[in-house]
Amino acid sequence: MAQRSAGVRLPVQSPVAGLRRRRLSFLEVLAQSVSGLAPSAAMVAVPSIVLLESGSATLPVLLAATALVVLIGWCLTHFARRMAAVGGTYSYTARGLGPVGALVGGWALLIGYAAVAMAALVGSAVYLAGLFGLDPSPPVVAGACVLLGLLGTLCTVRGIQLSARVALVLEVLSISLVLTVLAVLLLAPRSTPGTAAAVVDGPVHWGAAVGVVLGVTAFMGFESAATLGVEARRPLVSVPRAVLWTPVVAGVLLLAAAAAQVVLLRSAPLDVLTSPVPVAELAERDGLGLLRRLLDLGIATSFFACVTGSTNALGRVLFTMAREGVLPAALGRTHPRFETPHHALTLALPAVVGVPVVVLLSGSGPRAVLTGALTVSAFGYVLAYVLACLAMPLFLRSIGELTPLPAVAGSLAAVAGVLGLGVALGGASLWGGQAMTSVFLTALAPGLLWACWLRWRAPGRLAAVGVYDVATVGSVLPGSVPVEPVP
Amino acid sequence: MTPAVDRGLTGRQPKAVQSALAILEAVARAGAGVTAREVAEELGLPPATTYRLLNLLVGEEYLVRLPDLHGFALGRKVSALTRGEGVVPLSTAAREVVAELRGRVRCGVHLVLYTATSLHCADVDPDHPLQAPELLERHLHASAPGKLLLAEQPDWQDVLQPHRLHRLTDRTVARAADLDAELRVVRRRGCAVQAGQVHDDLACAAVPVRSPAGVLVAAVVVTVRSADPAAPAAQTAPAREYAGRLGRLLG
Repeated sequence: MAQRSAGVRLPVQSPVAGLRRRRLSFLEVLAQSVSGLAPSAAMVAVPSIVLLESGSATLPVLLAATALVVLIGWCLTHFARRMAAVGGTYSYTARGLGPVGALVGGWALLIGYAAVAMAALVGSAVYLAGLFGLDPSPPVVAGACVLLGLLGTLCTVRGIQLSARVALVLEVLSISLVLTVLAVLLLAPRSTPGTAAAVVDGPVHWGAAVGVVLGVTAFMGFESAATLGVEARRPLVSVPRAVLWTPVVAGVLLLAAAAAQVVLLRSAPLDVLTSPVPVAELAERDGLGLLRRLLDLGIATSFFACVTGSTNALGRVLFTMAREGVLPAALGRTHPRFETPHHALTLALPAVVGVPVVVLLSGSGPRAVLTGALTVSAFGYVLAYVLACLAMPLFLRSIGELTPLPAVAGSLAAVAGVLGLGVALGGASLWGGQAMTSVFLTALAPGLLWACWLRWRAPGRLAAVGVYDVATVGSVLPGSVPVEPVP
Repeated sequence: MTPAVDRGLTGRQPKAVQSALAILEAVARAGAGVTAREVAEELGLPPATTYRLLNLLVGEEYLVRLPDLHGFALGRKVSALTRGEGVVPLSTAAREVVAELRGRVRCGVHLVLYTATSLHCADVDPDHPLQAPELLERHLHASAPGKLLLAEQPDWQDVLQPHRLHRLTDRTVARAADLDAELRVVRRRGCAVQAGQVHDDLACAAVPVRSPAGVLVAAVVVTVRSADPAAPAAQTAPAREYAGRLGRLLG
């Protein structure tokens, strides 16, 4: 067997040093992914939207969406078991597609995290206003956005462990609230089929494909645990586990919520089905005002956890890019006491709060902002996932560990993702319509231009793309590997 | 329904354990940088099984994937298996350097050697002997050389379970969060100081001895009969000078 130790040198310090190392338990890592996905909000909002498109095929359509996301998650675990990244799928993509592909995927991922944080912020503000009986007018929502944004930043800068624990508590609370409300509604006596039954049991047509795409959007953010490579205890075990189990658990919850809503909405009037949150509308009409308040609380907390989760991930991708030299080095600093990427996080805050506040104050309705931002984020995520899945077999081949199954799975997930992206880009029936497609493309353009500029003008700065928490002198058996000379 | 039975290791599991150990041996034999494919070829194992077991061993930190992501090396946990057994005897040259320092300062001077995860009192001051060297070696959270070793770990909880933060005196740090804060100070200062955490009336400081490559190999420990952390801290300047000389001898 060939001895290869000659060329290998280990650094004394990891290129992503400065974050609090190896502190998060598996549950806290899982909480990051779950909060990025905001399951309760998805459980309440997504099934009815899919119902409108897919009719009687809703449950199989959601099952297909779950299977697709689990497949993507499985592809990502091949990276997560081999490298402890801070840049999530951005760092993964770099290992398979090189710096330019990674920057495109990374920029799309930044758009995904930022847009979903905006959507969740607005969502949290809207439901919080509803909880206190306030009219969710744009100025009220904008004010609440600023307050919640500050609170979220405080959590994320103060420490990843704090924000992960807050997210864990909020998610457990909100999921149990939503499940309780659904159970109570199911137990309430129902009369004959309502006017919505025709849609709920409607025929299956091509809309099912759109339904799958809409179903997939319910899972966006499930991979955000991949940004905790440094902070997780035993990252090569806990991160892949979280990335694989989050869509499985969320899929089961989503299917259960969808099954309950199919039963409930079959006996409801049509205008309930087309209302923004049919479950809340049902509770209201059944005279169960308290349930509606509980549901508002559940969704508001889930959305708030999503703000912190997405901002955490967003900050860490920016931090990684700064450490690589792709973005200004100042963004790569960490707080000396809290050991979080506080510069990147505080840069992200004005964008995440500012954009929705400006749009709201310019007269747009909160719901339009919410769905629009969600649509933009879905485009970003899917593009990032497609590139990462495409990169996976290439990465495995480059390290000589490719086997047939991952090769097939990677190609399959990438093809399915491209098809989904096509359906979404072409489908005017999607929430925000064509306008959001152009918003996404406009947001993507600076990233593409930056990548091209770096490629042609400063290729040296691309050399470091793909940094992760590499093995250092301290992680090997002492004396077994030579040390990199200190520059 | 069949009753649930704990069947322990059955079926293919013993084979998996044997294969994992064989992989560990193969990496040790081939040396750092061996690739997954080479391991699979040498052991005649199916590639997919080999890659899976390699990833498991890397996940458990018995193996490490090198920065190129192709190659593997033995992880620090391997040295933890042998605890203090890996400590080499101290050379006469090193003992002479320590003796010279003892002549210069008016306090106890000891030399502690480190493995990746443990410490060993290698040269105890004959004039001011340590009251209980085994306390230093066992309760890493309390003593200054122990804190220095913990500050060097990627995660100190790998080496010392948080529930084992025993209280030796009233001043011993016994909460994980407090120890975290202390270790941050140790990293910033580059040396560890404690007072009254092992014995009520003793304070000590540990100055790291690093190999030319920067690896922590030993510590010069000064002990003072005092309850004030400033007392041993005042002795660290001469200790640092000698630590530099020792680094070249021990690294």
